[in-house]
Amino acid sequence: MGRYLAIFLTFARACLVRDMTFRANFILECVTSLGWMSMNLAFYLLVFQYTAEIGRGSGWSKAPFFAFVATGLIINSIVQAFFMPSAEELTEMVRTGGLDAVLVQPLDAQFLLSLHRVDFSSLANGAVGVGLLAWALSRMDHTPPVIAWLLYPLLLACGVAILYGLVIMLAAATILMGRNQSLYDFWFYLTNFSRYPADIYSGPWGGPLRMVCTFVIPILLVVNVPARVIAQPLSGESWGAVAAAVLAAGGSIVVSRWVFQRALARYRSASS
Amino acid sequence: MSEAVARPAAAFQGLRTWWTMLAISLEERLVYRGDFALGTLMRFLPIVTQVFLWTAVFSATSRGEIAGYTRNDVIAYFLLTMLTRAFSSMPGLATGIARSVRDGSVKKFLIQPVDYVSFLLAARVAHKLVYYAVAALPFALVFFLCRGFFPPLPDVPTIAAFLLSLVLSFLLGFFMEATLGMLGFWFMEVSSIVFGYMLVQYLLSGHMFPIDLLRTVPVGIGGMTLADVVHWLPFEYTAYFSAAIWLGKVRGTDLVASLAIEAGWVVAMAIACRVAWWRGTRRYSAFGG
Amino acid sequence: MVFPYTRPMHNSVSGSATAVKDPVICVERLAKHYRVYDKPEGLAASVRSLFHRTSRVVEAVKGVDLEVGRGEFVALLGPNGAGKTTLLKLLSGIVTPSRGTARVLGHVPWERADDFRRRFALVMGQRNQLWWDLPAAESFRLHQEIYRIEPSRFEKIRDELVDLLGVRRLMLQPVRELSLGERMKLELVAALLHEPEVLFLDEPTIGLDVVAQHTIHEFLRDVQQRRRMTVILTTHYMKDVAALCERVVVITRGDVLYDGSLAEIVDRFTTHKIVTLDFDEAPDRSLIERFGFPCEFHGPQVVLRIDRSRIADVLPEVLASAGVRDVSVEDVPLEQIVAELFRADAREAAASMEAAS
Repeated sequence: MGRYLAIFLTFARACLVRDMTFRANFILECVTSLGWMSMNLAFYLLVFQYTAEIGRGSGWSKAPFFAFVATGLIINSIVQAFFMPSAEELTEMVRTGGLDAVLVQPLDAQFLLSLHRVDFSSLANGAVGVGLLAWALSRMDHTPPVIAWLLYPLLLACGVAILYGLVIMLAAATILMGRNQSLYDFWFYLTNFSRYPADIYSGPWGGPLRMVCTFVIPILLVVNVPARVIAQPLSGESWGAVAAAVLAAGGSIVVSRWVFQRALARYRSASS
Repeated sequence: MSEAVARPAAAFQGLRTWWTMLAISLEERLVYRGDFALGTLMRFLPIVTQVFLWTAVFSATSRGEIAGYTRNDVIAYFLLTMLTRAFSSMPGLATGIARSVRDGSVKKFLIQPVDYVSFLLAARVAHKLVYYAVAALPFALVFFLCRGFFPPLPDVPTIAAFLLSLVLSFLLGFFMEATLGMLGFWFMEVSSIVFGYMLVQYLLSGHMFPIDLLRTVPVGIGGMTLADVVHWLPFEYTAYFSAAIWLGKVRGTDLVASLAIEAGWVVAMAIACRVAWWRGTRRYSAFGG
Repeated sequence: MVFPYTRPMHNSVSGSATAVKDPVICVERLAKHYRVYDKPEGLAASVRSLFHRTSRVVEAVKGVDLEVGRGEFVALLGPNGAGKTTLLKLLSGIVTPSRGTARVLGHVPWERADDFRRRFALVMGQRNQLWWDLPAAESFRLHQEIYRIEPSRFEKIRDELVDLLGVRRLMLQPVRELSLGERMKLELVAALLHEPEVLFLDEPTIGLDVVAQHTIHEFLRDVQQRRRMTVILTTHYMKDVAALCERVVVITRGDVLYDGSLAEIVDRFTTHKIVTLDFDEAPDRSLIERFGFPCEFHGPQVVLRIDRSRIADVLPEVLASAGVRDVSVEDVPLEQIVAELFRADAREAAASMEAAS
């Protein structure tokens, strides 16, 4: 509804104003995330000095691989900017009774609790991601067909949706358990599996792991599907992957919402 | 009380305080029931990704080795760096010092007859011992499961050198971060400096990749590579060096020379820390604190 | 001082015999209990706690019956931990009960229907609900969006409330820069913007200075009367109660101890009146003591506690004593009654715990 959009824009505007007020801090945070990212990029460049492909015959040579990395940067920066800040604040809100205030208002609690804070400095990585993608695409042998260009934004959205569902489920855990210092750690470990193309998970251990991370907790669908579509030639398999990503996105949203509502129903509320 | 009795008595008191610190740290760790064992095991999850990644990297190389490392070497390397970083990482040390300068709690160390640096060192030793005690089992489990990646056990002198380098890396890490923290006497916001340090550490300590990989990066002067330059800097000694010793990548005179460089950095940083403390506290009292 | 009350078997003694008309809040045998895990003390206990944790059940609300009619101003009075705030959280739908039913404005609170949430407001003292980083004015505008308040109506009400409390100039400052009293006033404005029919207040004056308390009392009285709001206020300050409500529900340890008017508390819970005599000069003690009532001597002033049933008989005799210059006859102060109520209840609680162990 338009009302929800208006409310979200109010929050976003307030966060932007605050970031601009504390400009030095904002710039520092941008520099911080750009710093870590460039270290990782340097590492990848170094590795490509010694090998031509990540995974023999996988198609992930230098340019496609960087397109993969760029896709990951874009998706993760969106999640870090719009959903993670609110989720991180949830512990504090549970502690101080801010959650009580949210529950009393005639608005969807999940909406308020996942969108009231925006961290614009996280978008810096995404911006670099876009630039990196452009560079990678220009260096690739393979030119993506029009359909790939159309599918790419859709699949980026699916990736974001899958991760959003995970964030919400972690938030639900916070509500139930009251404290969650390890939310960020858990997030790191979970998303760590999806940092590289899924093709690296092969063999007697890798195969099952890949299955679990595709069909049970579909983190491998997040970056791999859009990256493949834009950086690798399309095949019959690609459509299966696209369908899987869309399904996973929908499922993630539905399941996470259900979990979240159950958590709210069992909310204990800090004693006064 | 005569001198002869007072000294041991003071030492005994110090030991008891230290023992209490130890017990409290242990208790703190145990309070977080759920996170406890799970947390330590979780730390190894990124290794799983590393194993698969490097297997994939190696699969497309022609010679089956990179900068002298086979795939198994690389995985053993990362497992070892987890161990070495457990010695040299000092979470919260620099920021803690800077904070205590900022909020004034450092004052009590100016008044009381306790040496701040020694106190911090003792506290860190206690913390580390507790950490090793609780992490020993998960570490042992993982290393046992991954024993297939490791080359055969090195000989006794190598093991001795390995252990020595671990102790030195603990001291090196401590004094480097402590000195950084002391900068809090001069700068309001130490966090940016610490961040810069972390970045450089991340890249050059061997955390991300074996430093040997930098041998293909020329520096432009006298045919030296980046690996040569990094060799003289303190960073690689907090993660890479000890792992390289165990894997036999550094031997003989190289090994001795490198240990000397490491020890040299420890001394240099210890002095830097001391000097920073003296000058910092002088400046601090001059400004009224 | 002996207190002539016994803890009722199940529920309260109602002050008025008539049923509430136009009931807005109906609560029946509402109960809420929590399982609380014991924190280990010491190293050995910490290790043990890894494998086995002990817990106990805390009954925050034990089975409360309550009926509140439209336009009533009811105080929930009780010591800390009595269950007042839990009861409020149940009525506003924040937590779900373990047992029992409740209906507020015809809705079941914990179903959290939007229609329900649009019709009431909750203000909690010392816990802010305004968005911390936004200036209050922005929070108000957000409120307008969330509660779908019609713009012209919104502005009229906002201006009215803001001027009543004198916080107009504070609206543009970020909330975190304001003092506790200023924040509470703005919270009250925010709560009333959507013209709720029911207002829940949880210790709204806690931590505020006397002037702020007074302002808020006046404001609440004014606003409640004009809009015929039903207000439930929890507090442990007698001052709030005396200033604002006629009906008091005393809650201790999760149970309703008393539900009725303030005036009746005095009747029900005291047996005597306080008679203060001023003499020309310090009187002879034995002359006063012969009446047989407890008395305190403060120089030329004597304070007697005389049974109410005997006042009419005894007073003339007392006044006839030589040298009486002035007399005053008062009820036991409300604060004292309530404080003693709480204390006696705590004593009972301790006694029953000892008996149980």
